[in-house]
Amino acid sequence: MDEVILEIRHLSKSFGTHEVLRDIDFTVSKGDVTAIIGASGSGKSTLLRCVNLLETPTSGEILFHGKDVTGRGVNAPEYRSHVGMVFQSFNLFNNMSVLENCIVGQVKVLKKGKDEAKENALRFLQYVGMAPYINAKPRQLSGGQKQRVAIARALAMGPEVLLFDEPTSALDPEMVGEVLNVMQQLAGEGMTMLVVTHEMAFARDVSNHVVYMNQGVICEQGSPVEVLENPRKQETKDFLSRFRNN
Amino acid sequence: MNVFSKLIYDIGRLWGKYWLSYLNGVKNTLILAVVATVIGVVIGLVCGILNTIPCAKKDPLPKRIVLKVVRFIVRAYVEIFRGTPMVLQAVFIYYGLPYFTNNALRFDSVWAAAILVVSVNTGAYMAESVRGGIISIDPGQTEGAMAIGMNHFQTMVNVILPQAFRNIIPQIGNNFIINIKDTSVMFIISFTEFFAFHQYITGVNNLYFPSAAIEMVGYLTMTLIASFLLRRVEKWMDGSDNYELVSEDQLVMAAGTYSHPDRGTPFDERSREYDKDRQDARWAQARNESTRGDR
Repeated sequence: MDEVILEIRHLSKSFGTHEVLRDIDFTVSKGDVTAIIGASGSGKSTLLRCVNLLETPTSGEILFHGKDVTGRGVNAPEYRSHVGMVFQSFNLFNNMSVLENCIVGQVKVLKKGKDEAKENALRFLQYVGMAPYINAKPRQLSGGQKQRVAIARALAMGPEVLLFDEPTSALDPEMVGEVLNVMQQLAGEGMTMLVVTHEMAFARDVSNHVVYMNQGVICEQGSPVEVLENPRKQETKDFLSRFRNN
Repeated sequence: MNVFSKLIYDIGRLWGKYWLSYLNGVKNTLILAVVATVIGVVIGLVCGILNTIPCAKKDPLPKRIVLKVVRFIVRAYVEIFRGTPMVLQAVFIYYGLPYFTNNALRFDSVWAAAILVVSVNTGAYMAESVRGGIISIDPGQTEGAMAIGMNHFQTMVNVILPQAFRNIIPQIGNNFIINIKDTSVMFIISFTEFFAFHQYITGVNNLYFPSAAIEMVGYLTMTLIASFLLRRVEKWMDGSDNYELVSEDQLVMAAGTYSHPDRGTPFDERSREYDKDRQDARWAQARNESTRGDR
């Protein structure tokens, strides 16, 4: 068994009286690609945002290398610098060029030198195929290009885990491929990833662990073959058949 | 002599005699307005940052109390200085301080007092503008910054404020123009700006209306130039609509080169290049037609 990076223990989250997540339990080991699937409103995104502490969990623990990061006195920015996140809406910094987007975190947060940060940023921009666009502003890019820059920005921080929050849901269909290609390549190189997605093909082919969520609880989890090909629970079967019919 | 030619004659006389005083007044007015606006904007930005520090329930109690106090102070500052006339603030600071402290505290320089009053005033207005500017920025920008490990201060300085600043430049321009005009109330502490010279000059002769006309034209000229320069600053901050590709992109597909029609590529209908091409084509056509007509 590989080294465990993230352990989610009995995680719950409520907005007011509305319980969005209930008793979530799962583990992410080094090199794992975990796909979180489920219908809209089932709490997938909230779960991912809790993992990155963008939402404060109501109860439960998130262990990062065995240390709880939900308690008081935890340096949340420091923790987040080890956990990259790619958003559905890209969230590139609009006031910076593509290159600056990938440099700013390294310089301000990791305190790297300008030259080293630039070289590093260029390497990852090259990796996602956005090196030619380093001088462009986010507003001048297409959705797929923005998302690839966002991936490069997250990678440039040297994260141990990369969280993807529906990275292709805001893209035009013909641009989904370019982003998924990058993600597949990353997975192949052993990057630990936690992916909320509606792309069943991606979950089946790339991930090694699938979590199916339904109404705030983990309904079923296991290998892609177990969950996607031979689901045990009726809810999972219904969800998957709805997907196939679409 | 009719009224207008007399007016122009008097203006000419006044200007010939006192132009140095008028220009001196313009200089003082502009220096005060520029310095006070800059300081005021800085005060506004600081207040904006202080006002938007996130406060979670799980934060330790001392931090929450400090934040409450800070917010109360900022709020009180904004309400007091926005809610009282600048003339009276000047009186209270310049004459009131020595009066209440038995001359222990006083301003030796009328410049210092004037700059203080006008900047603090501008700051109170700008604090709210900055807050509005910060609120107007997509929360996704904050999340993006937090996700790469920035703290509140880094997020503000690197990501949010540069964008908010761009959005509040029209407000800054507003305040600057208001300052050019409203610094005239500083005559109350005998600060000699543009309008004060008008009062001195009309005090020694009775050419009140011609001098007022000079003032009118002077103020309008200053504010027009200010608006023009501010527009230029906005344009400059928006940057170029075009960018250069550095080399070939291997991953990109046909869709990847898509660009929104509003974004100004050589191919979109609103770009200058496109207009120029069409213009050229039209001219060429017109030339052809005219030569055909000659034949």
